[in-house]
Amino acid sequence: MSTSSYNPYEIAQQQFDSVASKLDLDAATCELLRQPMREYHFTIPVKMDDGTTKVFKGFRVQHNDARGPAKGGIRFHPMETIDTIRALSMWMTWKCSVVDIPLGGGKGGVVCDPRNLTEREQERLCRGYVRQLARNVGPNTDVPAPDVMTNAKHMLWMLDEYETIHGSRNPGFITGKPVGMGGSLGRTEATGFGVIYVLNEALNYLNIPVENTTASFQGFGNVAQYAVRLYQQLGGKVVAISCWDEADKKAYTFRKLDGMDIDALVNITDSYGTIDKDKAKGLGYEVLPGNAWIEQDVDILIPAALENQITIENVQKISKQVKVICEAANGPTTPDADKVINERNIFVIPDFLANAGGVTCSYFEQVQSNQNYYWEKDEVLAKLKIKMTSAFKSVYELAENKKLRMRDAAYVIAINRVAQAVKSRGWV
Amino acid sequence: MGNENIGSNNLLDILKEREKELNCLYMVDEILENHQLSIPEILKEIIRVLPSGWRFPELCRARIIYKNHSYQSPGFISSPLSETSDIKADGNIAGNIEVVYIKEVPKTDEGYFLFKEKKLIKSVADRIGQMLVYRQMKSVMSGWEDLKTNPAASENEVKEWEFLVEFLKYTDHSMLLHICRKLTNYLLILGVNEASELFNCSTNNLTDDGGYANYPAAAEPMGDITLICENAFNVAKKYIGAQELKNQIKRWMQEENAYSLIKVIGSNSPSLHNIIEALRKFQKSSKNDELLFSPKGRWLTVGLIKNFLSDKPDFINIAAQYLNYNDFNDIINRIIYPSDSRGRIGGKGTGLFLANKILKKEKDNLPQLNSIKVPKTWYITTDTITKFLHYNDLEELNEQKYRDIQEIRLEYRNIIQLMKSFSLPPEIINNLSVALDDLGDTPIIVRSSSVLEDQTGASFSGKYKSLFLANQGSKQERLNALQDAIIEVYASVFGPDPIQYRAERNLLDVHEEMGIMIQQVVGTKIGKYFFPLFSGVAFSNNEYRWSPRIKREDGLLRMVPGLGTRAVDRLTDDFPILVSPQQPGIRVNIVPDEIKRYSPKKIDVINLENNTFETIEISKLLKEYGNKMDNINKIVSVMEYDYIRKPNFFEIDFEKDELIVTFDGIISDSHFITQINTVIRTLQEKLGYAVDIEFASDGKDLYLLQCRPQSIRDDTAPAPIPQDVLSKDIVFTANRYISNGLIQNISHIVYVNPEHYSELSQLEDLKTVGKIIGKLNSFLPKRQFILIGPGRWGSRGDIKLGVSVTYADICNTAALIEVAKKQSGYMPELSFGTHFFQDLVEANIRVLPLYPDNEGIIFNEKYLNKSRNTLKTIFPEYERFEDVVKVIDIPSVSDGYNMSICMNADLSQAIGFLTPHKIKLSHKRRVVEYEDYTGDDKAWRWRYHMAEQLAARIDSSRFGVKGFYLFGSTGSGTAGPGSDIDIIIHFEGNDTQLKELESWLDGWSTSLAEINYMNTGYKMDKILDVHIITDEDINNKDSFAIKINHPADPAIPLKIS
Repeated sequence: MSTSSYNPYEIAQQQFDSVASKLDLDAATCELLRQPMREYHFTIPVKMDDGTTKVFKGFRVQHNDARGPAKGGIRFHPMETIDTIRALSMWMTWKCSVVDIPLGGGKGGVVCDPRNLTEREQERLCRGYVRQLARNVGPNTDVPAPDVMTNAKHMLWMLDEYETIHGSRNPGFITGKPVGMGGSLGRTEATGFGVIYVLNEALNYLNIPVENTTASFQGFGNVAQYAVRLYQQLGGKVVAISCWDEADKKAYTFRKLDGMDIDALVNITDSYGTIDKDKAKGLGYEVLPGNAWIEQDVDILIPAALENQITIENVQKISKQVKVICEAANGPTTPDADKVINERNIFVIPDFLANAGGVTCSYFEQVQSNQNYYWEKDEVLAKLKIKMTSAFKSVYELAENKKLRMRDAAYVIAINRVAQAVKSRGWV
Repeated sequence: MGNENIGSNNLLDILKEREKELNCLYMVDEILENHQLSIPEILKEIIRVLPSGWRFPELCRARIIYKNHSYQSPGFISSPLSETSDIKADGNIAGNIEVVYIKEVPKTDEGYFLFKEKKLIKSVADRIGQMLVYRQMKSVMSGWEDLKTNPAASENEVKEWEFLVEFLKYTDHSMLLHICRKLTNYLLILGVNEASELFNCSTNNLTDDGGYANYPAAAEPMGDITLICENAFNVAKKYIGAQELKNQIKRWMQEENAYSLIKVIGSNSPSLHNIIEALRKFQKSSKNDELLFSPKGRWLTVGLIKNFLSDKPDFINIAAQYLNYNDFNDIINRIIYPSDSRGRIGGKGTGLFLANKILKKEKDNLPQLNSIKVPKTWYITTDTITKFLHYNDLEELNEQKYRDIQEIRLEYRNIIQLMKSFSLPPEIINNLSVALDDLGDTPIIVRSSSVLEDQTGASFSGKYKSLFLANQGSKQERLNALQDAIIEVYASVFGPDPIQYRAERNLLDVHEEMGIMIQQVVGTKIGKYFFPLFSGVAFSNNEYRWSPRIKREDGLLRMVPGLGTRAVDRLTDDFPILVSPQQPGIRVNIVPDEIKRYSPKKIDVINLENNTFETIEISKLLKEYGNKMDNINKIVSVMEYDYIRKPNFFEIDFEKDELIVTFDGIISDSHFITQINTVIRTLQEKLGYAVDIEFASDGKDLYLLQCRPQSIRDDTAPAPIPQDVLSKDIVFTANRYISNGLIQNISHIVYVNPEHYSELSQLEDLKTVGKIIGKLNSFLPKRQFILIGPGRWGSRGDIKLGVSVTYADICNTAALIEVAKKQSGYMPELSFGTHFFQDLVEANIRVLPLYPDNEGIIFNEKYLNKSRNTLKTIFPEYERFEDVVKVIDIPSVSDGYNMSICMNADLSQAIGFLTPHKIKLSHKRRVVEYEDYTGDDKAWRWRYHMAEQLAARIDSSRFGVKGFYLFGSTGSGTAGPGSDIDIIIHFEGNDTQLKELESWLDGWSTSLAEINYMNTGYKMDKILDVHIITDEDINNKDSFAIKINHPADPAIPLKIS
C-alpha cells in the first residue's frame, strides 16, 4: 500500500502531538500516550456451516487504562487493519476522559465480513474471539461494546462465553446488552438528551435564557427527536428541522416560525423517518429546500445528521442571529468552515463533548451490571445530566481561562486528565 | 285485464300438466327399481300407471312390445292419435312403447300430444332399456361369481373366460369383435395358421410385404360376427391354456374400455364436451391402471395434453413424462366451457397444473413435498371469451388491437364498461354458479390464463388482470361480482398495455384467447381482513447475489407478509424479505438498523367488509389484530434498541413492542425454506429450465400458485455475448459472479481510479470523492452512466475500502461496478452492493464485480485513464481530483459510440464495449440523429416538439422570461414514455411575474402529463421539471445554470416569442 495514503492512526497521532505540545507534555508521557499500551493479535479458527474451517484474524488494543478499565467496541470489518483499531482505541481514551468517567480506551476487531457469515458462524466467531482473550479482558480490565456491524446479539454470545470460561456471572464484562439481560434503561434517550444538557449549561454560562431561544435542527432521527423534545421542555422554540425524504432522495426543511409540535410531526413520519410533506403543509409547516435549515434566523443551530454538513460553501449563509452551534452529529463541520465560525465568534459545543451522552450511558450500564442493581430510567437520566453538565463546565472553564476554542479545550482537558493519571500512578 | 286472466289460466294449466307428467315418471321409476318384480311384471305395472301422465288419462291407453310379447292397457286399440318410442337395450332395439287416445281429443298448437308428453314417452322407453341391460348383466355376473367360489380350478378358468365372452355377447358386440381381432392376431403371432382363415384373411397378405406394398390392399369380406367369434374361441381353446386365455381376454377388454375415448381423441378437432364425456366414461369403467404404461396409454395422455393444455411439441415432451390420463380428472371436474368448446385452460393454468403433478409424483422420493398444496381451482376455457363476444355481438372489438394506441387507451375505459353491461352466455353462468357452490364463500382470485402469456417467450407479466374478490354476500351478489371480474379480465385483452406489449413483440397478429382460473385465495380471516400469513416468489436462479458465498443456482426468494402482490412486482416504497433458499443463513442485512430499514412495512389484504383489496400499514394491523394472528411470531421479530430477537407468541405486546418483519422464525425454525428449495430444485430438474414460482402460506401449509420459466422475465434474460467486438472497443470483460442482464445506451463512465484513490492521504479528500460522485449522480443523464470504482461502493466502516457514498449518491446510475485489484499482494473483498443492496434490487441497478488481475480478463485502463476527462468542465472546483475521478463522455471521445454491457450468467461472461448502434450525436446542433435505430422514438420527438411549442408560446415580457432551455433526456434524445421534460428558464422578473409564470407552466405540465398518459400509459402528475435560474445563478455557475453550455449534457436553447 502506498505510504502516502490515508492512515487514521497517523492522523490520530498528529492530533495528539499538537495538543501535547500545547500542554507541553514531557517526552515519556507523549511516548506512552501516543501509542497503545497493549495489543493482542490472534487467530480465531471457526467451523463453518459447510464443514470447512476458516481462520479469522482478531485484534484487541488497550490504548490506556490509567483512569480505569479500558472501554471500547469490537468491530467486524472485512478489511480491518490494526492501525484503524489503534486510532480508535486512542480516541476512546480521550472520549471517556472528556466526560470524566473512570474508564480508559480500547478497541477490538475481527477481519471478517459478517454479511458473508450465517448467524451460527457469527456466534462461533464471537465465542472464538472471547476464548482467545478471556484472560486479558474483564469487568475490571477491559470492557468491550458493540461497534461497526456488531450488536447486542454478539455481545450476549461473548458475555456467555466469558462467563462460561470463568464459571461465574459477570454482566459488567460487556456493555450494549438488551434491557433485562444486563442492559440499561435510558439508552435511547441518552445521546439526544445529553446534547441538550450541555446546550442548556452553555446557555446558562452565556447568560441566554433558554426559553427565549429559537433553534434549527438538521436531521430528524433518534438523536434529533429526543433533543427536540428536551429542548422544548426546557422552553426553547424549534422553528425548523431538515429531514431526509426517502422517496425523493433529498432532504427538505420544515419550518414553522411559531414553533413546532414534535408529536404531530412524529405522527406524520413514516417508518423510514420521512415526514409527509403534504400533511406537514396541512399542519401549517412551510416546506423548504433541505439546506434551508442553516439559513434560519435562530439563536441555535443543531446539526444532528451526518458529517461534513457545515462547509465552506454554506457557512456564510449562517444567520447573524446564531449564537451557538451544538454538534450533535459526528464531525458535522469541516475544518475550513470551522475557522469561519470561529472568526464570527459563534460559540461551538464540539461533537466530542456534545454527543458523549452515549458513552456515558454505557458506563452507567457497566456500573449497574457490576453491582447487579438496575436503576429506573429517571435515575439514569438524572445521573446523565449531572455528568454532562459537569463535563461541560470543566471544558468551558478551561476554554475561558486559557482562551482556547471549545474544541481545543475539550481535547486539552481529555489528554491532560490521562497524562495526570499516568503520572499519579508513577508510570512516568 | 282479460289478457292477463287468460295468461294466468294458461299458466296454471301448463303447471298442472307438468305435475302429472312428473308424477307419472316417479311412478315408473319406482316400478323399475323394484328388484322383486320380473321383467313382464314390471312392464305390466308400467302400462298401468302410464296413462296418468297424459292430458286426458281416461282416454289414454298404453302398450309395450318386448321379445314378441305385447303388454297393453285394457281397451287398447290402434288409433291415429298415437305416439311411439323404441326401447333400446345396449344399442339394439328390444321393443317399443306406444301411447294412444282412443277418442278424438282437442288439438293444441303442439299437436294432439304435447311436446313434453313426447319427451315423457321417450324417457320411459330409455329407462326401460337401461333396466333391461342391467338385468342381463346382473345375471351374467352372478353366474361368474358362483364360479369363483367353486374349487375346481382349471375347469373354472375355462368357465371364467367363457363367461366373459358370454357377457360380451349380451352387452357389447363391438368389444367382442375387437377381442376376436386381438385373439386372431395373437394366434397368428403364435404361428397358428388356422387363425388366418377366421377373418377370411390370408397369412400371405400379411407376410409377403409386411404391409409396405405401394398399392391399396383390397378389403376382405367379413363374415357373421357371432360365427367368427365362435370359431376364433374354438381355435384358441386348442392352442392356448385356459389361464392364459382368460388373462389375455381381460387385458383386451381393459384396452377396449378406452375405445370411445380413443375414438374421440383420434377424431379431427374433437369438442371438449365429447372428450370430457368419454374421459368420464373411461374413468368409471377402468378399474385398474393397466393401460398406464402401454403405448395406448401414452397416446391417450398426449391426446389429452394437446386438447387441454398445449400442443407445443417441447411442452408435450416434458408433460407426457409426468402426466397420465387419470391426472386430468382434476380438470374435467372443475372446468367451465361453452357447449362446442375446443379451448384449453391457457398458459398460467397449464404451468401450475403440470408443476403440481410433478411435485405429486416426486413426493415418494422427497418427503419435503408432502404438504405442498394447490388451492382449489376452476378453469374457464380459452375460447369462452370468443363465445362471450359472439353471444353479445361484440366481435368488432377484435379489431381494437390494430387501432392507434391513443385511441385504444381512450376507449379502454368505455370498453370495460361496455363489456360489463353484457352478460356471459347462460350455460357459462350456470356453471359459474356450480363453481361458486364448490368454492364456498371464501375470497377468490380471478386470474388470466391466456394462450400467449407464459408460453411464447413473452411473459405478459402484469399485463393482464388478476382480480381479487372478497366473495361475500348473497349467492346472486357473489355470482354477479364473479361475472363482472371475468368480463373485466376479458376486457384486459383490449387494454392498451398488453396490445402495446404484443405489438413490440410482433404478437399482434397472433390470435389471443383468454382462459381464466378461479382460485380460492389462501389465507385466514382476521378481523375484517383476509390474507395469508405470507406469500412470495421463488426463482431457481439468483440474479441478485449479495455475497460471493451465494451461487447463482442457490436461488432467490422474495417474501412478504399477506398477499403476494407486493412480492411479485418491484416496489418503489417498500422492500420484500430476500432469502437464498440454498443458503438461508446468509442474509442480506445483518446490521439492526438495516434490517429494520429494509423490512416490509406494508401488507396487501382483502377487506371482507368493504369487499375491497387494500394495502395497509403492518404496524397498524399488528396493533389491532396481532393477538389473533397465529404464527405471527414466525415472521416478526421484536426490536429493542439494537437487539432483534424472535419472540414467543405469548410475550409479544402488540401495543408497545417495536415489531419488524424479519421472517426469522420461518427461516430458522420451520421447514419452509427446505420445502420451497426442494420445490424449485425439483421443478427445475424435471422441467429442464429455471423456474419462477409464486406461493402463499397460511402458516401451516405451503400452496403453489403459479409456475413458469424464469428466463422469460425481461430483466433477467441472458444477454448474448457479442464475439466480434474489436479489442479497442472493449472496456472490460468479467467472468465471476455474473448475473443476467443487458444495459444499453450508456453515454458516460464515471471511473474512480483505484491507485490514485488509495493515494489520497487526507480523510477530507476521500470524503470529497464520495461527494463528487453524489453530484455527478444528479448531474449526468439518469440511467445512462455507470460507476466504476475500487472495492466496496458505499463502504462505511473504512473509507479506504471504497468510495463512501449513500444510496442517494448513486441512485441514478445504470450499473455499479466494483474493481478488485490486487494491492500489495492481497485481493480486496467486494461488497456486491450490500450497503444498499435492496435499494439496488428494487431499482434494478446491476452490480458487477471486476477482477482485472484474473487470467483472460480485459480491463481497458488505457481507455479509462487516457480518455478526455470532463470533470473539470462540469465541476471546475474539483479540478484537483482529476486524477482520481474520471468522467468520460463516451460519444464525444469515441466517434459517437455508446457503451453497452451484456451479461450472461449461463456462460458466466460479461462484456462492456463501445458500439455505434442506436444514437449518434450530431455536432452542429446538439440534437440527436438516429442511425440504425429501430426502437420507438415517438416519446422523445413528442417531448421535443411540445417543449418547442411551449417556448414559442411563452409570453416573455409578461412573465419576465429571458431564455428557455431544454436538457436531460429530452435534450439528449433518449427520453422514454415515462421521462419528464427538463426545462431551464432564465428569469429576470419580479415575484408576481414568477408566481404567474409558475402557475402558467403548472397548467401545461398537468395537461401534457395527461396527454402523455393517453399516449403511453405512463401516469405522472406533472411532466415538466422546471428549473428557474437568474443572472446571478449564471454568474455564480450555481445549480442548473451550469447546464447552459454544459460539456456533458448541454441545455439546448429554444426560441421564445
